[in-house]
Amino acid sequence: MIREHGYTHWDGQLRERRFPWWPITRLNLKLAFRKKHFRPVYALSFLPAFFFIVAIYISERIEDFRFMMRGGRLILFEVNPSFFKNYLAGDFLFFMLVLIMVFAGAGLVADDFRFNALPLYFSRPLRKKDYLLGKAAVIAFFVLTLTVFPAIIFIIFKLLFSGSFVFLRNYPWISLSIIGYSLFLTLFFCFYTLFLSCLSRNSRYVSVIIFAVYLFSDFLYVFLYNWFRQPLLALISIKLNLQQIASFAFGVKAAQPFSWIWSFLVICAFCGVAGYFIIRKIRAVEVIR
Amino acid sequence: MSLTVQNLHFSYGPIKALDDVSLSLEGGAAGLLGPNGAGKTTLIKILLGFLRPQKGEGRVLGYDIRSEQKKLRRLIGYMPEDDCFLPGMDAVTFTAFFGELAGMPKQEAMKRAHEVLFYVGLGEARYRLLDTYSAGMRQRLKLAQALVHDPKLLFLDEPTSNLDPQGRVEVLELIKDLANGKGIQILLSSHILSDIEMVCEDVVILNRGKVVAQGKIKDLKRMNFRLYELKIKGEREKWLDKLSQLGCLAEVTEDGLVKLYLPGEVEPKEIFKVAYQTGIQIRHFRQSQSSLEDFFAQVVGVD
Repeated sequence: MIREHGYTHWDGQLRERRFPWWPITRLNLKLAFRKKHFRPVYALSFLPAFFFIVAIYISERIEDFRFMMRGGRLILFEVNPSFFKNYLAGDFLFFMLVLIMVFAGAGLVADDFRFNALPLYFSRPLRKKDYLLGKAAVIAFFVLTLTVFPAIIFIIFKLLFSGSFVFLRNYPWISLSIIGYSLFLTLFFCFYTLFLSCLSRNSRYVSVIIFAVYLFSDFLYVFLYNWFRQPLLALISIKLNLQQIASFAFGVKAAQPFSWIWSFLVICAFCGVAGYFIIRKIRAVEVIR
Repeated sequence: MSLTVQNLHFSYGPIKALDDVSLSLEGGAAGLLGPNGAGKTTLIKILLGFLRPQKGEGRVLGYDIRSEQKKLRRLIGYMPEDDCFLPGMDAVTFTAFFGELAGMPKQEAMKRAHEVLFYVGLGEARYRLLDTYSAGMRQRLKLAQALVHDPKLLFLDEPTSNLDPQGRVEVLELIKDLANGKGIQILLSSHILSDIEMVCEDVVILNRGKVVAQGKIKDLKRMNFRLYELKIKGEREKWLDKLSQLGCLAEVTEDGLVKLYLPGEVEPKEIFKVAYQTGIQIRHFRQSQSSLEDFFAQVVGVD
């Protein structure tokens, strides 16, 4: 006899959750923060935000920092839509977001495949969309804490340091741009990570793929551009597409000489294909025909 | 009635997994018995709503298996056949998590997780990482997660697979305890006859996607056949042919013992008559005690 205690019934009432996906998100966030190297990587991701706050401070105390300026103006210290675009579509931020996806996103679905956990989830009153929302919310948390959250802090600091609302009067739409672009970025990373996490049962392979696809798309662009000199080849690069869309969102001149719509369509098409694949792949049973 | 299905059909492409399955089970513990590939797991997956039957209908605990899966799953506990867990977690967090997903409040789920882990014998190991659990411990953990929300009906799919004899007995004892007066109905799927015999009162036997028998085990054992063990001398093929024409089923063991299943209408003296006609000497003749295994062999086939 192995029982240490007898069986007792639970006298509570099972309730219908308003957000059935929330326990999945909470658990996966907890598991992500428990990972050995994740916390330093996540903390390091806030480094650009810190520098940008310093830049806001300097922009308001520009007279005290004249010695740093040679000749003309220091563009970085001018807080305008371009400042936000530089932060939200910066190479370093994208790189850190990809790194976070490697640590916190790779195993989201892959581990459930590997350890046959899907039947356990779906034997609960949970729909496929609840499961996917729960997983996507983990990614959304990390992306939003590195995009919307610092960007809003920038605005608050700008207002505090300047002591006036001139900035908001000049750019009343800036908050919407920040939120809109951050949400777009979040959506992209959700599809990107969940799609790649569905590709393999081994989260290590998925980590490599997440990293490799992002870098490879950029390398491929550079390689082909040097050969063909065709600006439209930028559509291959994930980074350049996101930056192109950011230029539109913040009303800044785009780096590439083609409409942002093309980049938007490329990213949307990718998300569409990824979404279709994810939905087909997530099921409670492996049906072998 | 806790579980009824009618005319269920399900195919994986060209392979028929369930073919016109109809069954009805009352409370208590029932066994779903059948050889590998008989359709047991497919049936459980249909009852849980994981698979949609191509034809047929069914109700579990009064809920329609096609349209009321969400309500149904709140009342069901499921222990899958495969080894399944979430890496990097301890047993309490794991069990409480699935309690929460079932609709339990967080605190209650945690409290209940402790209780069920003690019940299944993992009390001392409840804070250990699941990655370090043995096969037997993982099996008990699967049972704990199925029990955490105090289900009314428990689907256990091959609960003793991959277990050593001691672990098997321990898990079966737990299931037997749950089946006795705890108010939990159990559907135990297994290809191991003794597991079903130990725990269940009722049994449904599936073979090649069809229900070949169902009822109380004790009644089925007394069914309309008798089992005889014989040792013979002579050319047995002709003798066996004639007996099979009478509706008898025969199984020849490695040591030459012939196990003969006689239908109710065939008298034992027919065996001697046929032996006389075919020139066979009967050297040993004994009526054997029929077990579920014998019945299973008869309905599933003794090939």
